[in-house]
Amino acid sequence: MEQVFEGTPQAEIRLEGRKLVRGDVTNDWGSQLLWEIRRNGEVVATVPARANNSYEHTDTTPGQYEVVLQMFKYEGYAKDPAGNFTKSKMIEVSNKVGYTVG
Amino acid sequence: MFHVGHEKVPMCSGHGPTRRSFLQAGSAGLAALSLPTWMSLESQGAVNLADQKIRNCITIFLVGSPGQVDTWDMKPEAPAQIRGKFTPIDTNVPGIQICEHFPQMARMMDKVALIRSLHHKTGASHENGQRWMMTGHEFNADSMKPHSGSVISKVFGNRGTLPASIVLPGKIGNTGAGPLHGQTAAHLGSAHEPFVLGADPAKSDFKVVDLAPPAGQTEFRLNARRQLLGQIDEVQRKAETEPEAGRDTAYARAFNLLTSPEAKQAFDLTQETPKQQDRYGRNTLGQSCLMARRLVERGCRYVTINHFDTVFNLSCWDMHADGGGLNNTYADYERLLCPQFDWAFTALIDDLEYRGLLKDTVVCVLSEMGRTPTINPRGGRDHHTTAWTNFLCGGSIKGGQAIGSTDKTGSVPQNNPIEPPQVLASIYHAMGIDLETTMMPGPGNRPIRLVEAEPIDQLFG
Repeated sequence: MEQVFEGTPQAEIRLEGRKLVRGDVTNDWGSQLLWEIRRNGEVVATVPARANNSYEHTDTTPGQYEVVLQMFKYEGYAKDPAGNFTKSKMIEVSNKVGYTVG
Repeated sequence: MFHVGHEKVPMCSGHGPTRRSFLQAGSAGLAALSLPTWMSLESQGAVNLADQKIRNCITIFLVGSPGQVDTWDMKPEAPAQIRGKFTPIDTNVPGIQICEHFPQMARMMDKVALIRSLHHKTGASHENGQRWMMTGHEFNADSMKPHSGSVISKVFGNRGTLPASIVLPGKIGNTGAGPLHGQTAAHLGSAHEPFVLGADPAKSDFKVVDLAPPAGQTEFRLNARRQLLGQIDEVQRKAETEPEAGRDTAYARAFNLLTSPEAKQAFDLTQETPKQQDRYGRNTLGQSCLMARRLVERGCRYVTINHFDTVFNLSCWDMHADGGGLNNTYADYERLLCPQFDWAFTALIDDLEYRGLLKDTVVCVLSEMGRTPTINPRGGRDHHTTAWTNFLCGGSIKGGQAIGSTDKTGSVPQNNPIEPPQVLASIYHAMGIDLETTMMPGPGNRPIRLVEAEPIDQLFG
């Protein structure tokens, strides 16, 4: 019985100062949930987000930061030779928030 | 050929229509989907212990078998080829660490008793381990042993409308080495076969095939069919042998379930809030756990949740990384399996506790075996039967402890080696069953122990 994941997960995130806060995920597939943090468009960190509803990224490297929540979407277990998924992937499940470190 | 309406009904050796063929007629959707599940039940009565107070049991069976070193028996000091990719995290019990991908479980370790020294001495097939852990007995094709849920069904009987033993979402199918997984009632008889849901409760169009009349069928029609069936039963009884005639009770039970509002409610996840469904995880395991809670809340004694029905061509715990049909890797564990289990298991425990049910419900997380401590050249781990970790909580289980330990590589038990029958004995004991005084009928109806082992003392404080 191949697992089927229906609906689309969705969550609201916001900034409280530099602290990232997320609401509960609706249509939660229960798979891996990550904060994806970009600086000047480049991914600089992916941080587990399921255990806690908030996270503060302590990196003070100057730049324009943008954060979004991602969840793993399972669409089959096919992998490349390195063992990484080829069809299944992390997808964005929240709004984006941004801040600047001067 | 016998006809009902315009449908042809096959005859049974000239003796008239079989019950099955009758039921297939005029109700193709209902019967074809699932009625045989119930119509094949025999009417063997349970030992009259129905009033005895025993606790419930929910078993989550992690088909495929998680690697102990990657999950609940980590070896961070071991070489990289053994310790693997993941790192341990502290739990709320000092001295007990588990994998970083179980952060919710880490917060409730005080409720959980890990058994880190499980092992068995038979071959390293999935089926051997399944039979050990489902029955508590070594496999013998000439003397099949019943599933633990069937034992409970036989000894204690039903409590209300729901079957005593239910399997969610489906039975284990092909895991590589034959069709025998220890999931049958064996000599206890078909009346004690687990009721198998046979559908994915995570699907939006989910309905229990045994309980949902097809479009156009009404309760009235079901009841009319029950009356007609009764008449046919009366005629056919004369042409059947005594044991076959005894099936009437099973037919009645089937119809009782089909028409029972309580049963329908028990299986109806739409009665849960969306927030609650989210908390368990909108996936097969999560919604099965949610359904398990609803079932024990409404009288089912023993629920078995099979995380998967196969190990082939899908993401599961069988982490061989073989590049083919068994190509599960660390990516499956990290992205899907560990998070999904962590979310569902902890939701179940929290929910049972919130409702006051945890003290009356033993929750078991079992698997067939462990995985090789040394990572194979492809980046996976293969079958390993000489050490693995399973765990129990709820009922009379004393949480916050790790029983037994393994050597520095997680290869073999270092102390307090535990074998599968001891786990089954512990489950029965945690359910409140006195193994010295509670017997089940063996082959030939000779009373025998439920399992030939003693409970693990440390589990009970």
